[in-house]
Amino acid sequence: MSVTIRIIPCLDVRGGRVVKGINFEDIVDAGDPAEAAQRYDEEGADEICMLDIDASYEARSTTLETVEKIANQVFIPFTVGGGIKTVNDVEVLLKSGADKVSINTSAIINPNLIKEASKEFGSQCIVVAIDAKFNGENWSVYTHGGKNKTDLDALSWSKEVEQLGAGEILMTSMDKDGTKSGFDNNLNSSLAENLNIPLIASGGAGSINHLVDAVKLGKADAVLAASIFHYKEITISKVKDSLKNEGLSVRL
Amino acid sequence: MKIGVIDYGASNIFSVDRALKSLGASTKIIKTPKDFEKIDKLVFPGQGSMGACLKKLSDNDLRDPLINAIENLPFLGICLGLQILFSESEESQGAKGLGIFKERICKFSEFKDKKIKIPHMGWNQVEFIQNHFLWNDLESNNNFYFVHSFVSKNISENDAFSKTFHGEFFDSAVAKDNIFATQFHPEKSGKPGLKLLQNFLDWNI
Repeated sequence: MSVTIRIIPCLDVRGGRVVKGINFEDIVDAGDPAEAAQRYDEEGADEICMLDIDASYEARSTTLETVEKIANQVFIPFTVGGGIKTVNDVEVLLKSGADKVSINTSAIINPNLIKEASKEFGSQCIVVAIDAKFNGENWSVYTHGGKNKTDLDALSWSKEVEQLGAGEILMTSMDKDGTKSGFDNNLNSSLAENLNIPLIASGGAGSINHLVDAVKLGKADAVLAASIFHYKEITISKVKDSLKNEGLSVRL
Repeated sequence: MKIGVIDYGASNIFSVDRALKSLGASTKIIKTPKDFEKIDKLVFPGQGSMGACLKKLSDNDLRDPLINAIENLPFLGICLGLQILFSESEESQGAKGLGIFKERICKFSEFKDKKIKIPHMGWNQVEFIQNHFLWNDLESNNNFYFVHSFVSKNISENDAFSKTFHGEFFDSAVAKDNIFATQFHPEKSGKPGLKLLQNFLDWNI
């Protein structure tokens, strides 16, 4: 009996539709977000994550409508990310029905945002998302959906945002994202061993074993995946059965 | 029937309000002492630190009407809404809780041989200890969703209604007379959570 490993399907949303890209590019349409969220809830998802990958100012109202629609149907934790720049953006999302917000680029541009938002609404609702790529020595952090390289190293950056008040880290390996070749367990375990807050592993899910390894080898507290769940290549309940067979605690 | 939902000004109450409405309940957000009028039941959803919460309650003149309402109406405390019912917390030294339960809220213990992540965040099993109307049609050891860093560990046997394990056992639901309080978030716990909220709506005491 202990806190369970969370399986988090992620909806990448643009213009009110679920979309999926490979290595942050080549976007294709993949359905209605609220329908998908409801289906995931029924299949046993432990949380729902929605990333607004467009996140332009013009598309904001569509995003909030989608958030509200999902929140009215699904009563499990719901994280929304994309385009959050201010404490007010956080508040608007929470009011629209998000339980947590995921902040990526803006956390790097303005680290104070993490501090202010966590102080205002509590650490529990501030997830800091990190996109990183191996540079031969360590993992470089990128901003703007993987477009711009920074001088930050993922390990020290994750530790810094923890100090600033982040409640969780959502770690996406850009090397692995969309490849379906498994998670970057070296990256994840390096972070997890250093952090006191939960780590969500993302990027690279292609099989049930990959998710099990992300927990066993990558030491992740939660595993996030998009396309494998979306295209029903594997089901959440099968992932949980496998985790359970490995002696890990899951919510069935 | 009107369900009052307390908004003391530093908490995400929207999820609770939304969940209650999805069950057909009519809710009223309570921000001022006057808002306590004409409500039949009260829900206190809270997040953040106990000291800050108690200060906000006092600053907004909500403390006395809240105590009065807790004495008279069916009450559901959620997360910090459970913790403020205690006399004090290790989180906020000197802050005076409502004292409905005399015990104190503590830190999670630290262990040399195992790493316990704080906050305790995620789904965990809730083992029933005593029967209660709010457990109706729910099974012991169902998973509910938790997010918190402090806990009640040693409430008197009479008041303990469930326990949960995170490095050690703690009190995940406590109750007394017309008061029921959970450390977990029923509004975020899927079907079992909604059932618990429905039981609260159906609770006549």
